[in-house]
Amino acid sequence: MSAEAGSLAPLLPATLHVPRRRERAARVRTLALLAPAILLALLFLYYPLVFILQMSFTEGSSFLSPGGPISTTENYVTILNRYLPNVFVTLQLAFLATAVDLVFGFPFAYILVRKVRYRTLVRGLMVFPMFGALYIAFGMRFILLPGGPATPILQALGIASTDALFSLPSVVFAMSIFTFPFMVLNIGTALSNVDPTLEEAAACLGARPWQTFARILLPLTRAGLVAGALTVFGWSIGTFAEPLLLGSINEQRALAWTVYQRGVVQTDYGLSTAMGTVLLIIAFVVTYLSLRYSRGALVE
Amino acid sequence: MSTVRLASLTKHYGSTVAVHEFDLDVADGEFVTLLGPSGCGKTTTLRMIAGLVDPTGGRVFFDDQDVTFLPPRARNIGFVFQTPALFPHLSVADNVGFGLSVKRAKKAAIAARVDEMLALVGLAGYGARLPAQLSGGQQQRVALARVLATDPRVLLFDEPLSALDRNLRDTLKYSILDLQRRTAKTAIYVTHDQSEAFAISDRIVVMNSGRVEQIGTQMEIYLSPKTEFVAEFIGANNGLAGTVTGIEGTGEAARTIVSSGELILRTRTLAPAAIGDPVVAYLRPEDVVVLQEGEPADFENVVEGTIERVIFEGPTAQLRVDVGGRQLRADVSGGRRLIFPEGRGRIRLGFNDLTLIPAEPPDTVSSAR
Amino acid sequence: MTTGVAPAAAASRVPARRPLLNARRLTDVLSHAYIWLCLIVFVLPFLALLGYSFTGPGGTRPAQNFAYVVTSFGDNLLWSLKISALTLIINVVVSLPAAYAIVRHSFPGKRLLFSVLTLPLYVPGAVIGISLVLTYNFTYHLTTSMWGLVLAMALGTFPLMLTPLVVALKDLPVVFEEAAECLGATKWQTYRRIVLPLIGPGLSAGLLLCFIIVFNEYLVTLFVHPPGLTTAPLRVFNQIRTAGLSPTTAALAVTMQVISFAAVLLFFRLFGTRHLKGTYLL
Repeated sequence: MSAEAGSLAPLLPATLHVPRRRERAARVRTLALLAPAILLALLFLYYPLVFILQMSFTEGSSFLSPGGPISTTENYVTILNRYLPNVFVTLQLAFLATAVDLVFGFPFAYILVRKVRYRTLVRGLMVFPMFGALYIAFGMRFILLPGGPATPILQALGIASTDALFSLPSVVFAMSIFTFPFMVLNIGTALSNVDPTLEEAAACLGARPWQTFARILLPLTRAGLVAGALTVFGWSIGTFAEPLLLGSINEQRALAWTVYQRGVVQTDYGLSTAMGTVLLIIAFVVTYLSLRYSRGALVE
Repeated sequence: MSTVRLASLTKHYGSTVAVHEFDLDVADGEFVTLLGPSGCGKTTTLRMIAGLVDPTGGRVFFDDQDVTFLPPRARNIGFVFQTPALFPHLSVADNVGFGLSVKRAKKAAIAARVDEMLALVGLAGYGARLPAQLSGGQQQRVALARVLATDPRVLLFDEPLSALDRNLRDTLKYSILDLQRRTAKTAIYVTHDQSEAFAISDRIVVMNSGRVEQIGTQMEIYLSPKTEFVAEFIGANNGLAGTVTGIEGTGEAARTIVSSGELILRTRTLAPAAIGDPVVAYLRPEDVVVLQEGEPADFENVVEGTIERVIFEGPTAQLRVDVGGRQLRADVSGGRRLIFPEGRGRIRLGFNDLTLIPAEPPDTVSSAR
Repeated sequence: MTTGVAPAAAASRVPARRPLLNARRLTDVLSHAYIWLCLIVFVLPFLALLGYSFTGPGGTRPAQNFAYVVTSFGDNLLWSLKISALTLIINVVVSLPAAYAIVRHSFPGKRLLFSVLTLPLYVPGAVIGISLVLTYNFTYHLTTSMWGLVLAMALGTFPLMLTPLVVALKDLPVVFEEAAECLGATKWQTYRRIVLPLIGPGLSAGLLLCFIIVFNEYLVTLFVHPPGLTTAPLRVFNQIRTAGLSPTTAALAVTMQVISFAAVLLFFRLFGTRHLKGTYLL
């Protein structure tokens, strides 16, 4: 402690210097611990995002050209003019998948939380969809193939297999399977925070099950429902396996695939990055709303 | 094995003062307790002595070594926490030997020391068990063995008994004292429990709101409190606020006259006081004597009062007495409660037992009232 | 419900048990049926592929299909495993110190930092893909190295390692580290002997999650993979698009899912389900 250099030493009590130095050392340590994560995010997420934002204002593949990129807002105009159906389809698919998840997920979550004892088994099996939308789409495509396993059932119902296979419903169905566990998780958490005696009280007061649901459960779990719905929606807008494998031409317009087509295959960088940006904006709006509703504060 | 000296030890959290210029000298082998209500800064002080918190100002010395900014592991201390904090994934033996194994001692030496320590705390043979298999009291004893194993020079205790139940607390506190005496280590102990502090300390530091109110032995702080906080925090007390209206006599006959409401009190002068000083006169309930019919009353400070309530508590009985408009509490032994029926009586406020303490300005008065 | 009297008339005999079919039992049965129906739907694609993978022209030939997987797709499987392993390592190296700093150190803007770090989870895969492939091409020149793919995977999944670690560290009382330090341990010794073992389950939860996602990832991979490096899921995707459905492709998909499921089972067996709290898996 006595080797204190610095002109202030004789004026201030020596104790004031050391805490400041130790504080600085502690700050450096904190920064060092956070650096790899921050670096990874900066270099591989934030910078690339800024990069494509820039690129979205250039024309086609002019980024490469010797003369330098040509600035333009044409890309966004083109999206508005020609690619609105793509945006629409993307939103529509995500919306429908979310709706299906909500409608079928709520009872599932309710039963799981309130009634089922073999919860671990259920959780174990619920893991399957999470392995990837790709396998779900693949499996479903196989099932729905003309001449495949589902054909007899479909014929009995009077539906042609080709109609079933490459259609909106099958895409939505596959998408909703993939995101179903996430929805159930969110709803389940919200439900487990609702005291079951509330439902019993309502029943004793004469409420029918539907009324209990609509007037007690729904309001109390609203936050979890909204959070779940928004999370699922956000995940769904970025997918392309289901639309591609199971959808008709219309569904194959999903933005994620269009981005790939235009960007990687056709090297129209300007347009594809603009689409990517649009996709990103939609995702951010959705995420922001969902975080506002969820109780996700893990850090203080 | 070390003396501990705190020089003007201070801790600020932003604009809050947690500990204010704490001075203390602990002798080698002494058992000192920091006593005070929660939030008074006692734990913060202890943690600064341990090195778990950096002080904002001041110094800590072990013997003559300035340890103020040394990390805990370099100070050779033993810290016993509020929870046993036994490492759940290690066996009792591995826990006790932890301090030695991080210093890369030889396995055989560690094993021998572990056995010795476990025997010392009365848990010989428990080495192979896991902490989860022990009761709360046993875990705390293993924690004691663990800190003693490294032969620290100072033992620091942060309310180690507060998580245990009453009976356990009573037995364990004497075990702690016994261990401290046998190992002759300097000990600094933090608690908010007065009876605990009184039972095992050599000296007690009464703290409040980051400041030291008084340092002394049990008798000193009980019989001669120096501040209002100490007078009221330690044990029960009756406080009569008033003003000094006279000083007379010298030597044995010196008296300070205090006027409190309708009462005129004659007290022994303990500190320089001037006429007009606001003071509070304190009298312990056991020193409020209710005179019986026919008892001689030729003492100083005998006043007329009313016994308003008699509350029988078993070993004692509390009398609520009204004297000159002031409420006082008088304690008598339970067997004698019937001698004091409610009604008028004569109360004697012994001048020897009255303690005068200068009144503090209203905004600094403690919350212990 | 029972009375002591034994009435003679058969018609007035009160049954000792509740009727077999009443509203509550019906609801129970329907509820369980619903759960099982949904579960079957979850597993159906897998089962379908499983069945498919056992077929072949003219009859069933599972052994040959799966042998084909090993021979023709073996490279892809190995790549998947390799990429997953490297990604996991990077994730741990990046997330463990960051989680520790977030939980144990104090600094301003923690919430913001955590949001900034977990943002990759909320960016659509296609956007990550396009932004990285273009950045790799034009700025980083990472298009031919496998590290481009590995870092893309790491970027997309390290939040899933960070979150369980943060939860695990939060659940670890500080007093253990303080006790270790007071007993003479250096920071390193404390981390190695006390902190790491005690957050082992949380760390494994993160490893499991990241493994499952990276192992089965095809979307960002499609954008970013170096030429000549095809992971197994990507191979599945390409096969379907170019060669249509085939039993061997199905066999590959089945293999991937079986390996993933085995990893999950292993984790559950070792650690139970507690430690996946707060993550997307449970």
